[in-house]
This record gives sequence, C-alpha cells and structure tokens, in this order.
Amino acid sequence: MAKLSRRAIAKYATEQISSGADIKKLVLQLAAYLVDTRRTGELSLVIRDIQFYLSEAGSVSGVVTTATALTAETKKAIEKYIKQQTGASTVALDSFIDPSVIGGVKVSIPGRELDATVSRSLTVLRTRFKKA
Amino acid sequence: MTDTSNISITELSKQLRNAITNLETTGDLDEVGVVLRVGDGVAWVRGLRNAGYNEVLQIETDEGVVEAFALNLMEDEIGAVLLGEDSKVKAGQTVRLKGSVLSVPIGPELLGRVVDPLGRAIDGGPAIKTKQQGLVEREAIGVMGRKSVHEPLMTGISAIDVMFPIGRGQRELIIGDRQTGKTALAIDTMINQGKQNTGVVNVYVAIGQKRSKIARLVERLKQEGVMDQTIIVATSPADPASLLYLAPYAATAMGEYFRDNSQHALMIYDDLTKHAVAYRQMSLLLRRPPGREAYPGDVFYLHSRLLERSAKLSDDLGAGSLTALPIIETQAGDISAYIPTNVISITDGQIFLETDLFYQGIRPAISAGLSVSRVGGAAQSGAIKSVSGGLKLGLSQFRELASFAQFGSDLDEATKSQIERGQRLTELLKQHQYNPMSVWQQVASILSVTKGYFDKVPAAKIKAAQAAMLTRLWADHKKDMTELDKGGKPTEEILKSIEVTATATAKGFEG
Repeated sequence: MAKLSRRAIAKYATEQISSGADIKKLVLQLAAYLVDTRRTGELSLVIRDIQFYLSEAGSVSGVVTTATALTAETKKAIEKYIKQQTGASTVALDSFIDPSVIGGVKVSIPGRELDATVSRSLTVLRTRFKKA
Repeated sequence: MTDTSNISITELSKQLRNAITNLETTGDLDEVGVVLRVGDGVAWVRGLRNAGYNEVLQIETDEGVVEAFALNLMEDEIGAVLLGEDSKVKAGQTVRLKGSVLSVPIGPELLGRVVDPLGRAIDGGPAIKTKQQGLVEREAIGVMGRKSVHEPLMTGISAIDVMFPIGRGQRELIIGDRQTGKTALAIDTMINQGKQNTGVVNVYVAIGQKRSKIARLVERLKQEGVMDQTIIVATSPADPASLLYLAPYAATAMGEYFRDNSQHALMIYDDLTKHAVAYRQMSLLLRRPPGREAYPGDVFYLHSRLLERSAKLSDDLGAGSLTALPIIETQAGDISAYIPTNVISITDGQIFLETDLFYQGIRPAISAGLSVSRVGGAAQSGAIKSVSGGLKLGLSQFRELASFAQFGSDLDEATKSQIERGQRLTELLKQHQYNPMSVWQQVASILSVTKGYFDKVPAAKIKAAQAAMLTRLWADHKKDMTELDKGGKPTEEILKSIEVTATATAKGFEG
C-alpha cells in the first residue's frame, strides 16, 4: 500500500467531517490506518492538519495566550478579529495563561499566528543587538 | 569577560531607543510553522505552506532568532538548512517566513574587508553598512546582455598570459593536486591587478580554508598594497556546511555589483571541490538520493549556475565584466573524476598544474599539453600576441621530447635544437611567487629566447640573463618599454632595441 501523505489523510478526514459523516466511524478508520501503517507517532500532526483544513473550510479553532486572564469582552474582540482575518464562520478559542509571555497577547490558529507579546519583542530585540 | 570601557551608555541608549521604535507589530496573522526535528545543521519544519525555494525562515529560539533557508519543499514538511548554531534550535519552536530570499550587503564599502558569507565583518573592523543588498542566488545575464570576451585580464604570470591568455568575463579553471601552486597563481593574479593599476576588483572566496591561511593572505595582500581593491569572503572548516555552500554565491553577488556598475571584477573560488563536498553533506542530510561518488544529481547545476554569472556585459549594460578563476583540487592528477570533469566542461578553459613539474622545480607547474584557454586568444593584447605564436606547441613538443634528452648524442640536429630551446624556454617561464611581470617584461623575455638572442646562454643562466636584460632595457629604453606596456604591437624600433640589449646581455652569460 502506497504511503499517503499527512496532507492527503487530513483532507480526506476534513471532507468526511464537512459532509456530515459518522465521526465515530471516521475516527476508527483513521486510527486503524495509522496503526496499520505504523504512523501513530504522527497522530498529533494529522490532527493539526485536520484543524488547518477545517479552518480553511470556515471553522477555526485556536488558542489565545496571555499573561493574565482575558475578560469576556477582549475574548469576543479577538474572535471578531479572527473572523475578519480568516473569513471563518465559526471560531472556537481556548484561553491559556502563561506568565512567561510577560504582557500582550498571542493568538494561534492552525498555520497562522499573531504574536504581540512582550517576550517576543524581547527576542527580536536580542537578535537585532546580536547582529549589530 | 566583556570590556565595559568600550561601551558608551549614551550610544547604547540611542541604539535601544531606535530598536524599540523599529519593533514593528503588523497586527496581522503571520503564517507560522513548527520545528519538528533538528540535527546536523538541518531543521525539519511543519506548516509554512507558502514557503518558497531558498526562502529565509526565522526560527524563534530562547536566545534570539536563528535563520535558515528552505531547500527541501515536501508535501508534509520543509527541510531547512540552518545558518546559525543548531544547538539553540529545539523541536516545537515557532518558525516564520522572512518574506525574502537570501541577500547580502554589496557595494564599495566591502572593499578591503574580510567578511563571512552573510556579509558580516570577521576582520575585527566595524560593522559593514552598505547602501545596497544583492541576491545570493540570481539568474545569470541572458545572451543579449553579453558581449564576446575581448579585453585581456593580465595575470602577470608569463606562462599564462602568453600561452593561455585570460580575457575579462572568462571562466578559467585552475586545476591540480594539492600543493602544486593553485592558490599561488590566483594570489599572483590578484597582486598583478594592483601592481598594473588595472582597476580590477578582486573577490577571493575561501571555502573551508584555515583561518591562519586567510590571515596570512590578508597580510600579504596588505603588504603588496592590493587589499584596498580586494574583498575576501572567508569560511573555515569549523563553519556549518550551509555557510560553505553559500560562500561562492554570496561572493558572486558582491562581485556582480562591480560588473553591473561598468567596472571589472575578478572572482577566485578557492576551491569548488570543498564546495561540492559541503553541498553533498547538506544533500545527504536532507535525504536527497545520492548519485555518483554520493553527490546529489544536481551537483552540475550547483557549479554551472554559479559560473554562468561571470560574464562580459554588452555596451548597453555598461560593458562591465566578471571574470572567474575557480580552483579544483584533483586526487593523484585524476582530472577525469566527477567534479573536475563537470567544472572543466563548464569553464572556458583550464590551467592544469602537474605535481611532477612542481617537484622538478618548474614553477608555476603549468602543463602545456593539458592546459587550454578557449576564448582568451581574442582578448590577448597585440604585444603579447606578437610573441606567443607557436610557443605552446613548441613547449608541449619539447616536454614530450624531453625524455629523449638523455640520449643527446644520438639525436638529429633539428631535435637537439628543439630540446635546447625548450629547456631555455622552460627556464624562462619559471617565475617566483608574488613577482608578477608586466607586459613589456614578458614580451622582451619571450623574444630573447624565441628569436634566438639567448641561444648561447646555457639553460642554468637564463634567469640571470633575463633579469640583467630587463634591468638594462628599463634603464636604456624606458620610453619604448612604457609604450610597449600599453599592449600595442611592438614597433620595429622597439624590437630592435630589445634585440640589441638582449644580444649584448647574452654575451656576459655565454659558456
């Protein structure tokens, strides 16, 4: 059996989900394929690829990382921003609090990212000073 | 420990303020990828579906951004070669597209400097700030933008200038085993550009050369007063293979600046064997299928796309030129190995250096039979052309006959005289390192042997006779020699003065 690329597997799964196929059956099918081809190690990558294709189909799931808890209003504003940027119809965001970002916000959606955190600015500054 | 005395707080504060002001936050969602695995200078990245071939990727590590360039674009992942230390890069780190392919600083600001392939100063001097950046990978000029090679690029080495002339815009390979004087030829050519005030800019690319060798070269070039018109792009064996791979392309971009601004530049790639080895290492780590001698299938393209950038530009494009002297190291004189045959077929000729000749004391150890210049003849100056006829053939015939020289008494007169003249010519073409000759010196020297003025001078005294003749010529006929140095065909008057001086000088060395 020819090895299918992750991209091909993810595309197939996305098509099945979008067409309203039985999710349980799809999950079993995917699991069986990965076990059979000894590619279970790629599971998380396949899931990320499925998320990517789902976001292209208009259903975005992402993560917002901040140093302090987000207010409901800010979260709503971020959702609106993602809809504007991606043209998605539905946006599902998970919030994470990570003090190491120091300040600002980091929005990660499949394949794209907005990093307006203080920690990233410091990394960029550090690189520029090294170059100079 | 950092030397705090050199740090100016005001300057630091100014720089910091500038850097903060320039911190751009686009407010857009950037395309990002993730490092899957890393090792041996190669990072495998997931995501970044819009990455282009050779595009620069920025990996965000804890200690700053490490750059890499994408070489393997596959369906599920990208193979990128790191330009910095791979120890800082870890799986899971974020990767962004820089939005540009590799470029390096170019311009006259680089003259007199030693830089790495990314254009960063490594000579201890101040940081290099140029007005322009040049693409490391650039398509070669097309047919209509070129002109035939027609101006000479004098190396100052009479054996080359007379028998295998090099023209501006030509690609002439220097090939030979280790320790046969390949780099010495290249260095002499660079020195000659300074001594003869040709205005040609030298760009020397050291691929995987020891730092001590580079330091010695820089010292020598400074001593000879040529460093001011030279750029050195240096990589050492300790550098990652990616830098060794990039070095000749980056240096060519620096040389192209002068070519495109109606100037003339000379590229010396020392050497392309190490370059091919660095590319093989990268290709194998990128899991590309190995071919002959484990080199990847595109190793010919690796060098052809590099050397095709050397050209003589048309008048419409400013008539600038970029001449290339690539160097290839052979193993046991085998010029039919993979990389040597590739580069021989790409270039417009080769200068083959033989180990046997080198150890016989014939230096430069140029093989008259295996060396050739395919386009240089058209670029030879009138002065040199007037003395070069039949020289190459005569010398290669002599070297074939030389083995019979021991049976001297059994040979006919014609063969004997051919051998004797060959011996004198061989002696005459010997030249010390760092001692390039000007046009008039070469013309007068060759004439003295080919016209038979030195026929009674034994081969062992030829160099002494040559030196004496040149001194007398300069003292007695300075005006004529200055005229001859301009490159025009020598007049009867000049020829006569050479004849008279050579014959008179020869008398003191007979017997």
